[in-house]
Amino acid sequence: MENKEYDVVIVGSGIAGAIVAKTLTQAGKQVLLLEAGLEAGMAFDTDGAYKNYQEYLRSYYLALAKVPNAPYPDVKDAESPNVLDMTQINGKPDTKGYFVQNGPLPFASDYARAAGGTTLHWLGTCLRMLPNDFKMHTEYGQAVDWPIDYEYLKPYYEMAEREIGVSCDVQEQHYPNMGGDFFGKDYVFPMYKIPQSYIDKHFIEGLNGLKVSLNGDVYVPWCTSTPQGRNSTPNEKYRYAGTGWNATKKKLEMQPFPKRSEVYEPVGAIWDPYAGQRCEGNASCVPICPVQAKYNALKTLKSAKKEHLTLMSQTVATEIQIDSSTGNITGVAYKQYPQADSKEYVSGIAKGKIYVLAANAIENAKLLLASDACKTSDQVGRNLMDHMVLLTWGLMKEKVFPFRGPGSTTNIPTFRDGSFRKQHAAWISPIDNWGWGWPTGSPDTDLDHAVSTLNLFGNDLKNYLGDLLSRQLLLHFECEQLPEKSNRVTISKKYLDNIGNYRPVIDYNVSDYTKKAFKASKSVSDQIFAGMGVQDFTSYPSNEPDYTTYDGQGYVFRGAGHVVGTHCMGTTAKNSVVNRDQQAWDHKNLFLVGAGNMATLGTSNPTLTLAALSFAAAENVLKALK
Amino acid sequence: METNQLISGIRHRLVRSGEPTLTDFNKITTLDSLRKHLQVAIELEHSTIPPYLFALYSIRENTNEVAARIIKGVVMEEMLHMILACNILNAVDGRPDISHPGFIPEYPTYLPHSNQSFEVNLQKFSRPAIETFLKIEKPSGKGAPPEADRYASIGQFYEAILDGMERLQAKGNIFTGKASRQITPEQFYGGGGGVVVVHDLASAHEAIAEIVGQGEGIDGTIEDSDHLLFGEEVEYAHYFRFNEIHEERYYRPTDTPKSGPTGAKLPVAWDQVHPVKENIKMKDFKKGTEEWGMMYQFNKSYCDMLRALHDTVNGDKEKLREAVIMMYDLKYQALGLMNIPIGNGLHAAPSFEYVK
Repeated sequence: MENKEYDVVIVGSGIAGAIVAKTLTQAGKQVLLLEAGLEAGMAFDTDGAYKNYQEYLRSYYLALAKVPNAPYPDVKDAESPNVLDMTQINGKPDTKGYFVQNGPLPFASDYARAAGGTTLHWLGTCLRMLPNDFKMHTEYGQAVDWPIDYEYLKPYYEMAEREIGVSCDVQEQHYPNMGGDFFGKDYVFPMYKIPQSYIDKHFIEGLNGLKVSLNGDVYVPWCTSTPQGRNSTPNEKYRYAGTGWNATKKKLEMQPFPKRSEVYEPVGAIWDPYAGQRCEGNASCVPICPVQAKYNALKTLKSAKKEHLTLMSQTVATEIQIDSSTGNITGVAYKQYPQADSKEYVSGIAKGKIYVLAANAIENAKLLLASDACKTSDQVGRNLMDHMVLLTWGLMKEKVFPFRGPGSTTNIPTFRDGSFRKQHAAWISPIDNWGWGWPTGSPDTDLDHAVSTLNLFGNDLKNYLGDLLSRQLLLHFECEQLPEKSNRVTISKKYLDNIGNYRPVIDYNVSDYTKKAFKASKSVSDQIFAGMGVQDFTSYPSNEPDYTTYDGQGYVFRGAGHVVGTHCMGTTAKNSVVNRDQQAWDHKNLFLVGAGNMATLGTSNPTLTLAALSFAAAENVLKALK
Repeated sequence: METNQLISGIRHRLVRSGEPTLTDFNKITTLDSLRKHLQVAIELEHSTIPPYLFALYSIRENTNEVAARIIKGVVMEEMLHMILACNILNAVDGRPDISHPGFIPEYPTYLPHSNQSFEVNLQKFSRPAIETFLKIEKPSGKGAPPEADRYASIGQFYEAILDGMERLQAKGNIFTGKASRQITPEQFYGGGGGVVVVHDLASAHEAIAEIVGQGEGIDGTIEDSDHLLFGEEVEYAHYFRFNEIHEERYYRPTDTPKSGPTGAKLPVAWDQVHPVKENIKMKDFKKGTEEWGMMYQFNKSYCDMLRALHDTVNGDKEKLREAVIMMYDLKYQALGLMNIPIGNGLHAAPSFEYVK
């Protein structure tokens, strides 16, 4: 292995690494892909992939707390963070889980270090960022502008929507300040929208025409169907077979179907192309889609050109080696562990012409810090961001039957952009379809309460739960967090994992800019609940890990699993880690990919944007390889 | 020697008195005869679904994953074939009928006129069941050369249909069916291949190639072919997929039909199966008992699903969504039945009988 020089060495098999691997191998390049987690469906062995996934499902069914990482093996040699490890931080670092949390507030999100990465347990929401998200400084005097704009990213968004397989009705998409040509003339998504769930229909009816006042302005909030990376009915107007490298023009292009009669075919499960061709409404999208109707990066990996792809799993990249005279990367040092949880490992060095780090924002930062790489800007590890999710919940007047269909099929986009961003964060409000599960642990806790406290049994118990669980409404207010230097990932020799690799040390807090949005969004929620006759059950206990106060009120926020920032893209080597080509300023043959490149967060779930950026990065790598 | 080589395999058991006789099949010379053949084709494709489903449902959850996946894959393909046959019949302006009382065979079904007397039972997942499936899917070998007045295989049966279509088309356009009655690829999914919209001879060829290719695979060469039959990229014919279960081994790319599978062991737990009563009938129970009620409910769901599919292939395409939801219900209802002890160590099971 060490003797062979590949064209490109990629670290990480999540969606970013998989897209780069697929694009490069299909363009004829030799790629070595290192994955820290278990093999787990990466190989092109159908039965193995199936059995492995059934194991995941079994773990999920047996898990008491169905948190995002519940189905997936937590290997000590490549640990994953777990939201269950999060506690309030009282003065000294919380080292219970994989993260070392310095606080003052704990970072509230996790990710999966496994083949396929965190797309194993993502929800599948595929919203593009808005034009103003890329120029927060110019428009609102906040944070920074990106070195690229929405127009730059637009063709890559289309590639990402093809790769993920997004279901969406384009004519229903109305966002604030989206401009006249947001999607381009005649653009359609590969598949029609996922039918909106029963609860959404009731909610939309209830919200219709309701006026809400905020900061002295009056808004009429509206709902749109949410674009999703899960399979639905193909749109016969969709015309693209895939994305390919045009060697003459030196660019990536969407390739039309060769025949007019061809239609988009949904990409099914990795073990059976005919399984998972439609979302079945299993409602367990997070943490696991039992039929793989929801996209995961293993699907992309499976369509890479396998003769050109070498996979090494259980291989944790530990350091990138730098030629001090040129600044070029000369290799990636790794530790390969023979068995899960083993303290033993074999060391090696992977060599390529170009190196791509795609290991997730926190893991990328850790690796760069461990290698003393990208030092000029002092930005590595900084600007860690996540959506800070304020939840509000209540009982609808009538039964709305949550859990019918996927996790969320509708959102309120009204507050995604506006001049209020000068004062406080924007947010998006998805309508949740999973009852009060997230904030209260329902239905288990409701059952427990009914039996132990109310002493209900028999028909009384049945009727009580039937009424309560069928009326539960949960709204999210996913508030934007701005890039801040003090929210950061560092490493320390004091905190090492099972095979002597660094664990991430995290400093994290919430600024007034986002807290003001908690207050504003809670007031919007109050007005919606009052207007629709929803009985409010929201409460923010002060013993929750991410409890904070603003203007005399207490709030609890949760993580959205949107791990962003840490190696931001920018205009100069002084203010950022990568340039607009996603190439490290300090090391010409090093490309960083993933949500770590994002300069600001906006109000979109970042996966679609990072996937689009990964196509752009793959194109730049191909250009650099000549 | 006779009938089971005239048309090999149990698929053809629906050719029985009252339906088109074999001699009618020889050459298709009228549009009416063509449509009748296509209706039989639809019934042939459906007829294996109940025994396959019965065996599939009988496997205990979280066991025999590979075997279950193989059987499920075959069932899905039989459903695709049925829809393809409907599309061809609709293309020649016929009216598929998949909801009449005789549409579901009565199990056990003996091969009519069979000298080997193998019968198809509704039976749990077991070696004998897989052996029957192998017989069902095994195309006739060299001993049954095509003869002018006989069909040696399902492949020949479909060839006769193609031949008839070509002959009739030469006299005047037979593809006069409404395009709106076709099931389209966007609508149909999960069924082991693509639906072909049929509107002319070429697309009819394509549809039949899809059916014959998957079902029979390498017709007539099963014992001694040197074609590349196995390996990752190859879609095995049903016979070989069942044979992997039977031999508890995978095929390797270098294997031949003669060698049988010599690859890695395919784990089969023959005892991880619900102990269900075979060929169970509603009349085995008193009306009003729980067992009878649940069996009735299952049969009602199955027949309702056929009725929804009937509407789907007769112009009301929105009904397909309803049919899909019913398919999910069927599985849960079948599992419910299989958990009910009925004495003698046996459990109840679905009976696949026609009810209104």
